[in-house]
Amino acid sequence: MSVFLLQLINGLVQGGIYALIAVGYTMVYGIIQLINFAHGEIFMLGAYFALILVTATPLPFWAAVLLSMVFCAVLGMLIDYIAYRPLRNAPRLSALITAIGVSLTLLNLARMLWSSRQRTFPDDSKPAIFQSKIDLETGEVFNAIPLPDGAILPYTDIFIILLAVVLMFALNRLVHLTKIGKAMRACAQNPVAANLMGIKTNQVISVTFAIGSALGAVAGVMVGLREAIMPTMGYHKGIAAFAAAVLGGIGNITGAMLGGIIIGLAEAFGGGYISGGYKLAFAYVIMIVVILIRPSGLFGKSTAQRA
Amino acid sequence: MRNWLVGLMLLMSLAFVYGCDTGNQVRVAVAGPFTGTAAAFGEMIKRGAQLKEKEINEAGGINGKMLKLVFKDDAGKPKDASNVANSIADNRRFLAVVGHFNSSCSLAGKPIYKQKGIVELSPGSTNVKVCEGSDWTFRNLYRDDFQGQFVAEYVNKYINEIKTVAILFDNDDYGRGLRDGFTSAAGNFGLNIVASEAYDRNSTDFKAQLTGIKAKNPDLVFISGLYSEAGLIVKQGREVGITAQFFGADGVDSPDFLTVAGDAAEGTYLTTPFIFSEGGGEALRVAEAFKTEFNGIEPDTWAALSYDAVGMIAEAIEKTFDQDASLADKRKAIRDHLASLNTPEKGYTGITGLTYFDKNGDTVNKPAYVKIVENGKFITAPQQLLNAGSQE
Repeated sequence: MSVFLLQLINGLVQGGIYALIAVGYTMVYGIIQLINFAHGEIFMLGAYFALILVTATPLPFWAAVLLSMVFCAVLGMLIDYIAYRPLRNAPRLSALITAIGVSLTLLNLARMLWSSRQRTFPDDSKPAIFQSKIDLETGEVFNAIPLPDGAILPYTDIFIILLAVVLMFALNRLVHLTKIGKAMRACAQNPVAANLMGIKTNQVISVTFAIGSALGAVAGVMVGLREAIMPTMGYHKGIAAFAAAVLGGIGNITGAMLGGIIIGLAEAFGGGYISGGYKLAFAYVIMIVVILIRPSGLFGKSTAQRA
Repeated sequence: MRNWLVGLMLLMSLAFVYGCDTGNQVRVAVAGPFTGTAAAFGEMIKRGAQLKEKEINEAGGINGKMLKLVFKDDAGKPKDASNVANSIADNRRFLAVVGHFNSSCSLAGKPIYKQKGIVELSPGSTNVKVCEGSDWTFRNLYRDDFQGQFVAEYVNKYINEIKTVAILFDNDDYGRGLRDGFTSAAGNFGLNIVASEAYDRNSTDFKAQLTGIKAKNPDLVFISGLYSEAGLIVKQGREVGITAQFFGADGVDSPDFLTVAGDAAEGTYLTTPFIFSEGGGEALRVAEAFKTEFNGIEPDTWAALSYDAVGMIAEAIEKTFDQDASLADKRKAIRDHLASLNTPEKGYTGITGLTYFDKNGDTVNKPAYVKIVENGKFITAPQQLLNAGSQE
């Protein structure tokens, strides 16, 4: 029973991380119909930036995370400004190719700067709740919940799930209750009409990039805490998150959140109960099945709400 | 205008061809994972090879010609390895190849090197099949059937009260081959395998597999994979409450394992084809020279094996040297020379010991050693098993 519970938690943690990345893909697609392939690299750079801040400066961990979010938000806006805005009226394929180009440039830049080695946050830089471990001699458990049959549930995992839920809820409220959220929804419905109504579409697009990138940075730090930081992490997690966005119906925020959770659970249960070697394959099989049945994804365009 | 441009380009390409004139050089390719998740191995292979290159050239080169190593990156991926193999074999300047490192890369290169007739001498591939079926592929270390059995025997003899074992293996040729070697020997040494879980090289999250393993509560977890994933597995394993002994194989033998795993690495056992302190005077001299050359960095097993591999190829070129022979004949002569090293008397003595080949091109005489992590460092384990069941 506790194996099932733990796999459920594993799935929700991965799912939460995928959801945080997937909303970045989906929000941008919702407004400018561009699959921003560089988003995975922004996620990766968010992790690196936080790592550099905690190791090279005396900044506390949380300040580093906030700064990294700001850095990624600015980077996201900058990429849009430099690479995508000039192509706003060009054929969609041009912007897509540009996105792939930006993605490869950032990936290789990271390789040059930090080599392709895996890095992790040093233990002394992490807040205590992320340092779960078990004492091998006494069996005493630190920063984790001991389960009856000897397994432990790290606080990190619970924290990531809660954080993902809070951020997703906040994003949902932002899109539905604030003025900028309304502007985003308007641009998603019809950018030309929105512009005619006095909405500065370019500003709205910049804000969209900023929000998506900041959430990506948070996801990057969480992956860094729980797993490892390396230049290709953006590609591997990004592609799964992209699958999540497609599965949920690209352009739809709720769909991206749900898609992330489904992909995460498929990985955990498929990997845990069937075969770990094909963990990612299970996620894609589920995606393909859903797309075959509902070509526009779970919450595809038929529902009016995008952004 | 256009003619002028074409003329210039022709001139430049001519200059390029002559600029690379190999009249005074002997070129050997070194293929390995210089980028990617196995890059820490690649760095050591490169340094070990560069040290030998420097020493050979300072001693006057090969028959008066300078040895020039060219490093070709296969990123540890078989797909890239085939491309690299083709580009090396088609390049008329290369006489032989030191590499590849990853078993799946050596296997991907094997048919290409065989078809085009150029020697592949691996300083790191241990999968059983690497040298099978090709006269052109050799290696200077043991095979995984030996290594797997060695691990089982060592665990049975020297680690107390191990009855049940879980295996986590990398889903590639190395990981699966070593798992098979270990699995087939485990029964003979009283080990009961309770779980055998695969993982994918690109993964950084192993908690799904580790949760399943934790439920079986094994006494020992054997990791059949590379250091980068092994580091994360050990770390995440302790986080899900696995208290079992961790045991890795030579794929884990890299200082990067320690940096990735951190405190969780403590007490992990691993096998390795070579330990400098066991290698005698010449090995210690090379270790010192290595540290001087590379700013105090300690050499590892792979640096030593590639140092020796370059030495063997250089010796083969020297002994078969014939200025006027065709490229194919030069390459063939190197192969024939290596193949002739088939008895202990004829073998090549390097810092990692005596290397000679059986009919496949395998090295079957070299022992395995055991290291253990103590206070954040690899140390030679107090018990060694040098007379483990022979490979043949």
